[in-house]
Amino acid sequence: MRVHVRSIGVLAPGLPGWEAAQPVVRGERALEMAPLTPPVPRCLPAAERRRSSPTARLAIAVAEQAIDASAIPAAEMEMVFAAAEAAGEITHQLCEVLATTREISPTVFHNSVHNAPLGYLSIAMGAKLSGTSVCRGRWSFANGLVCAALQAQAAQRPVLFVCYDSPMPMPLQAVCAMVDPTAVAMVLAPDRIDAVASASLEIVQADVENEWPAWIPASWHANPSARGLAALGAFASPHGTVRVPFAPGQALEIRC
Amino acid sequence: MARRAAYLHGTDRRAMKPLAVTAFTTTNPAGIGNAATLAALREGRTGLVPNTLDWAPIACWVGQVPGAARIALPEALRDYDCANTRLALLALEQDGFRDAVARAVQRVGAHRVGVFLGTTTSGIRSTEIAYAHRNPDGSLPADFRYDTCHNMDATTELVRRFLGVSGPSLTISTACSSSAKVFAAAERYLRAGLVDAAVVGGVDTLCQTTLYGFNALQLVSEDVCRPYDAARKGLTIGEAGGFALLEDSEAALQLLGYGETCDAHHMSTPHPEGAGARLAMIGALEAASLDANAIDYVNLHGTASPANDLAEGRAVHDLFGDRVPCSSTKGVTGHTLGAAGITEAVISLLALEAGFRPGSPTTRSVDEATRCRFEPTGAEAKLQRVMSNSFGFGGNNCALVFGRAS
Repeated sequence: MRVHVRSIGVLAPGLPGWEAAQPVVRGERALEMAPLTPPVPRCLPAAERRRSSPTARLAIAVAEQAIDASAIPAAEMEMVFAAAEAAGEITHQLCEVLATTREISPTVFHNSVHNAPLGYLSIAMGAKLSGTSVCRGRWSFANGLVCAALQAQAAQRPVLFVCYDSPMPMPLQAVCAMVDPTAVAMVLAPDRIDAVASASLEIVQADVENEWPAWIPASWHANPSARGLAALGAFASPHGTVRVPFAPGQALEIRC
Repeated sequence: MARRAAYLHGTDRRAMKPLAVTAFTTTNPAGIGNAATLAALREGRTGLVPNTLDWAPIACWVGQVPGAARIALPEALRDYDCANTRLALLALEQDGFRDAVARAVQRVGAHRVGVFLGTTTSGIRSTEIAYAHRNPDGSLPADFRYDTCHNMDATTELVRRFLGVSGPSLTISTACSSSAKVFAAAERYLRAGLVDAAVVGGVDTLCQTTLYGFNALQLVSEDVCRPYDAARKGLTIGEAGGFALLEDSEAALQLLGYGETCDAHHMSTPHPEGAGARLAMIGALEAASLDANAIDYVNLHGTASPANDLAEGRAVHDLFGDRVPCSSTKGVTGHTLGAAGITEAVISLLALEAGFRPGSPTTRSVDEATRCRFEPTGAEAKLQRVMSNSFGFGGNNCALVFGRAS
């Protein structure tokens, strides 16, 4: 299976975009951790910006980077959004209210669905093709990428792939240790034209889980999308190769 | 510009090779397994009851699966124990489904079988209970397991382990289209040769999140749901689990096509003319290389929410006119949310197999404004091809076409 990457978006502490991220993911410059300014997607009207969750705004902002850099209108793309958690802050709000007054706000409820970020982006950009929101736990990056690559191949269209994680609030953080926001987006194309990277994807047996590159802070290890950031080194280097965990005992080998 | 035009007008909607549906099963409020479900459909019997849940005292009806709560998970999989996984295991034991998967594993190998499940809330009921029992310092109870219960992928991983399969797998969570879209995703994995057999399905269980959430949106009816009724007042939430086995082989029943779209209109309200729904149905027909005339019955999404039924009915009428009989089976099963797609896919397969077109027993007087040919009364009918619609929050649409092998 091959994947052609037309453009890349990155958001994480110290990584405000793909330009800035390239020397870091290649190991040429150290990551300078700085809190990520809460992203404000341009495409969202003011009311939707207020209504959407911080997780949705993170996913949409990183998607916006990749869409802009691809020079393809979002309306011509299919979409695959991958995340381990829908939105921790919303789960927390919901469960707190359910444990007390049970008076849920309708907005909090519709923000709680796993596909809320995808829905907001689709509405803001008039994207009416297939939109799929997927989860595969801590293997969400590799499995989301495969799902998106298959879609680009099957539909012969560009596919927007986004993988994102936002911090879990307490007390959920104690059982799901996401503390930093990290997100990666790619526009995958069905052909090599104007590709920034082309890679083969292969599922391989891996008895030991792949180690993290040294530049990825330990505080990101709970974020499945950080596996995407770890893989970007391969996309940014000629003949780069990387393995990311795919399933128990399996890895996805990405070979550029 | 030339390149862009190719994406818009090129041969991107290639016809799909039909896939064999070699096994299927549904467990829902109207029946545990296919035979009980078909009997309820034939008798026009609803599985819905007035709500007596002490943890969600809302004036409404609900659809519960009796017995699911008593299922015990195997010792090695106890970490996954929650309402969703118990219902998943109950559903897997029906209609010889587990054995059918075991035979597929023998044929193609465990690593060539994938699991593709849809859900909206996974085991969130466990998190709700944990929040109701927080420790004085605000922390959650020590026995609360998040990854193996609440995570959207928990049931998928449990099913993989229980069935002993290790092929590429995925959880899709696009609200109420989730377990319809798994057919589309699985078809792409099969087509690309990543798996030789795909277990598709979905599970959702009753929880406070959806009962109070839909109630807050004023979408829950106090009365039983009455799809396409002129006096419909909203939906009845149900729980269900169901599975189908897809293979590139020969079988009497087939997946012929699917179409997936987004409304790009509103987070919780469908496009008023059902524009996205219409495009999903057209996509499914194109993938199946069929004209609308070839469809013998449409199992509607038909939640009984005033806006959904109006939008869907108009879109269906626009494509199928007055010719194709339609009904919604949500008055029988309830709206099982992330499990609605698989529940109604299996009902469509049962309809094809049994030669019975389901009705909508709770509908009393059809709303003329919905326009399509809604048939509240079920009937024996020779069916060759059936469409099943599933639409969800975020304007997420999926239409599936199933047929008898010719």
